Amino acid sequence: MSALIAAAATGCSPARLSDLGTLVQVIWAFSSLSLFSLGGGNTLLAEYHHLAVERFCWLSNSQFADLYALAEAAPGPSSMLVGLLGLGAGWREGPFWALLSAYGAEAAILLPSTLVMVVACLSWKRLEHSPWRQAFERGLGPITLGILFSVGLKILRTADTNATGVLVSVLVCVLMLRTRISPLWFMAVAGLLGGLGVINR
Amino acid sequence: MSESEQARRPSLSELFIGMLQVALSAFGGGLSAWSQRIVVEQRRWLTNEQFLTGLTVARLFPGPNQINMAVYIGAEFHGLAGAGVALAGMLLVPFTLLMAVGLAYFQLHSIPAVDRVLAGVVAAAAGMALSMGFKILHQYTKDWVALVLAGAVFGALTWLHLRLIPVVLVAGPLAMVWYWPRRPAQP
Repeated sequence: MSALIAAAATGCSPARLSDLGTLVQVIWAFSSLSLFSLGGGNTLLAEYHHLAVERFCWLSNSQFADLYALAEAAPGPSSMLVGLLGLGAGWREGPFWALLSAYGAEAAILLPSTLVMVVACLSWKRLEHSPWRQAFERGLGPITLGILFSVGLKILRTADTNATGVLVSVLVCVLMLRTRISPLWFMAVAGLLGGLGVINR
Repeated sequence: MSESEQARRPSLSELFIGMLQVALSAFGGGLSAWSQRIVVEQRRWLTNEQFLTGLTVARLFPGPNQINMAVYIGAEFHGLAGAGVALAGMLLVPFTLLMAVGLAYFQLHSIPAVDRVLAGVVAAAAGMALSMGFKILHQYTKDWVALVLAGAVFGALTWLHLRLIPVVLVAGPLAMVWYWPRRPAQP
């Protein structure tokens, strides 16, 4: 419900998956991103935000941030966020559609990169010492670096918490780099601070 | 052990169960370590060397690393079908669980108390996102071209609001030309 209000506020109406044309667009958008998930996949976060919040208007900013946090907290690869976005996309049409669209979205994001990976495995003997491989590996590193900084800033803006919240974000960032403490602890403590109203948005 | 030094070939159902076991063992984290323990040490499907090659391939190509690793293991034995089965085994439980959490979220997120707690969790998650770039920054501090490239990509995405795909399609080939191995391998 609040998503509808948020969407109305930004003058953007949620794309409905039961419309076949929209469905094709959605599947195309996710599967074409698949091949651009460099450096493990988190490079796509800002694009996911663009699709789910700005282009297809399924989610509000804070819902997107919530789902990102859930995907990070859950065990398993964090790219399962796409499944949650799919869930949000189909939610208005009921839980059945939501689940269908969740599995569909996850398949759309995984299929192309999986196919490429299978081909890569089968031809690795030839690729291993090819100059293409070296150029690809060394060239895409700095690009990944630039994307990750941009993604970090984007998520921080999307989280849009109060000053205490931003301070906590920066502190967590430093602790992530300096210590080996499990991030689940940071989330638990920050969740408590949120419950007490110290962090809000 | 004595029967053959050669890694043995798992069937499709063994692959599925093996990956399921990896996913379940890794609930507290450390997926990569668990898959090494189970795939190399317990089940002896791959030698350690093959496993490390797999990690290299998984990191190099697009897609989440852990998922690519499952694809590598599956494809090694049964091609595309193996890749699909290994993927399904690895994702089935965590994905289904996460979707259950997701359904609960959409049902409950408008409750003020839930929203307040989530606001805090989101602040921590944002900090985790922020740390990703810093984590790999040290690899590039001595390469000014890399820093300029990274800066240009950052600027294009953050200030010019360009989309990722065109940015990578322009910056990628330029970077590949620059890093094309002309001379005998640089350090």
